[in-house]
Amino acid sequence: MFPDKKGKFGIFGGRFVPETLIAPLEELEKGYKEIVKTKEFKEKLNNLLKEYAGRPTPLYFAENLSKYLGFKVYLKREDLAFTGAHKINNTIGQVLLAKMMGKKRIIAETGAGQHGVATATASALLNMECVVYMGEIDLERQKLNVYRMKLLGAKVVPVTSGSKTLKDAINEAMRDWITNFETTHYVIGSVVGPHPYPLIVRNFQSVIGKETKKQIIEKEKRLPDYLIACVGGGSNSIGLFYPFYKYKSVKFIGVEGGGQGLNTDKHSATLTKGEKGILHGSFSYVLQDNYGQIKITHSISAGLDYPGVGPEHAFYKETGRAEYFSVDDKTALKGFHILSELEGIIPALEPSHAIGYLIENKDRFKKDDIVVLCLSGRGDKDVLEVARIEGEL
Amino acid sequence: MTKIEKKFKELKNKKEKGLILYLTVGFPSIDKSIEIIKNCEKNGVDIIELGIPFSDPIADGPIIQHTSSEALKNGITTDTCFQIANELKNEIKIPYLFMTYYNPVYKYGIEKFVEKCVESGVSGLIIPDLPYEESFYIRKMLRNNDMNLIYFLTPYTKEERMKKILKKGNGFIYFVSLAGVTGPRESLNLNLIIESLKKIKKISDKPVALGFGISNKEQIKQIKSYVDGIIVGSSFLQKLIENEDEAIKLIKEFKEELSY
Ligand SMILES: Cc1ncc(COP(=O)(O)O)c(C=O)c1O
Repeated sequence: MFPDKKGKFGIFGGRFVPETLIAPLEELEKGYKEIVKTKEFKEKLNNLLKEYAGRPTPLYFAENLSKYLGFKVYLKREDLAFTGAHKINNTIGQVLLAKMMGKKRIIAETGAGQHGVATATASALLNMECVVYMGEIDLERQKLNVYRMKLLGAKVVPVTSGSKTLKDAINEAMRDWITNFETTHYVIGSVVGPHPYPLIVRNFQSVIGKETKKQIIEKEKRLPDYLIACVGGGSNSIGLFYPFYKYKSVKFIGVEGGGQGLNTDKHSATLTKGEKGILHGSFSYVLQDNYGQIKITHSISAGLDYPGVGPEHAFYKETGRAEYFSVDDKTALKGFHILSELEGIIPALEPSHAIGYLIENKDRFKKDDIVVLCLSGRGDKDVLEVARIEGEL
Repeated sequence: MTKIEKKFKELKNKKEKGLILYLTVGFPSIDKSIEIIKNCEKNGVDIIELGIPFSDPIADGPIIQHTSSEALKNGITTDTCFQIANELKNEIKIPYLFMTYYNPVYKYGIEKFVEKCVESGVSGLIIPDLPYEESFYIRKMLRNNDMNLIYFLTPYTKEERMKKILKKGNGFIYFVSLAGVTGPRESLNLNLIIESLKKIKKISDKPVALGFGISNKEQIKQIKSYVDGIIVGSSFLQKLIENEDEAIKLIKEFKEELSY
């Protein structure tokens, strides 16, 4: 299956990096392939996911929301995974891998701070030095997570170049890795970057979809009709989708950050509005200008605020396996409130986009449809920001 | 033989090593960068690397990040870079290449980009994030038009891969002196560098130019006998930010060191 030997999903993906990174990427690919199949790795990972990260997460039938929408909605409760988002699935896997590969130092980028916190957590647990790159603008809007990372013993490095958000934090982390790869593993936070990252992150996140499959069959005795998730870089969505790839009756919907609207420049709807291009070592869809300069994006949620997207999503789009839409800031806020009020669950702003999509498009679904929505994270990190936006503070 | 290959042959005959200068088109201003480019030859430069600025230069350190974003603010686009190259065509004799990242080339359209290079007298391309495996299409198209695609090697490139790259490489081989991004370094790991350069020279007699980190004459003195040229960028641009005369003085000094 995908990706192929060159790390390609159809025409997408690959390894578009400076020559200096070729050797470390080959080392990582080899290390990954050898180590993940060992009994030692599997046992350690499964144990940590269960005892430490709180897996499996529930697949919760959201009865009130279902009534409101007029079809059955299940929430895959990644917000209940340790540290409050799906990001921990990937970071425990990667930090454990790095340790078994003999690396001493972990670096990561972060946008919302969720991946930074999850990386800092896994690093603290597995006794690794940890440095997190974070754009200055994100530092400001996610202060709580910055402090959490510090509490966990990570060093947070502010990134002041370019757009001062996630894209530039990735640039800085790559520059660190180019320099320190002999001692350091770079834990990328989504299914982006050069091969083998999109493969590694997808496989670690696939636990979401594998559990979902088992749980929905237990509860409904059948596969769902739709899977829906928000798409930033694309890891929680691919994690949910991928184990269902071959079941063609299960439709995939990815929801991107529509920001202030697709007719403005202030959005992060890469698959909906972007074009093919190369960013961060991978050929995929990119938000760019006529000369291939990468655009500065906007989304109410820092986790979706990224001009690129994982190559596997580009492949799903191109082949029609998944559909991608965008939902604007306002609709995401609506989703945020409705889930809070109807289910007593305050969601992160990222999955609030997926909820917003269901609300706006409820007519597309039939009464008997079963929809599984990946609730990728909890909203604690966003509460202050939403209060500020709505003038409550 | 391409213009770059001729240049290296000429240098060899003179028993000199080449000075390759990187600068960002449009920095510090459009007019100033054109003036600097036009004076390159008389200041001792053998080959010019014209940087088309990119918003996300992952192989570059703080100095080239700065010059790139300034150049973009000054309104430089791929088209203005071609216009400038066109203007240079009849004014300078030394070869000039374009250095940029893959996305601006891809977005422009590879065929159209190469066509424009031909029109504006460009001698080759350096695309740091286009790896060997993905390079054949562009390489061939350039080759058909007497231009070179410059390949990279590093001290970390495995020998088997090194052999493949050296076989396809033409113009010159860009040897990256260190693990890291562009930017001046006080000291370089000479043992590691010399060991790899010897390995390269054993496999191939293609010209090799060393870049990344070069900041002073002393370093050039220690390395020059192992290479055919030196690539200087950040240390020149850093000086240029402070004082243009100092920047010109630096490249003159470097060329002097490379001349005997
Ligand atoms: C809760 C949550 N959901 C989603 C995302 C988006 O990332 P991805 O598309 O990789 O799942 C993030 C990123 O920070 C996040 O924190």
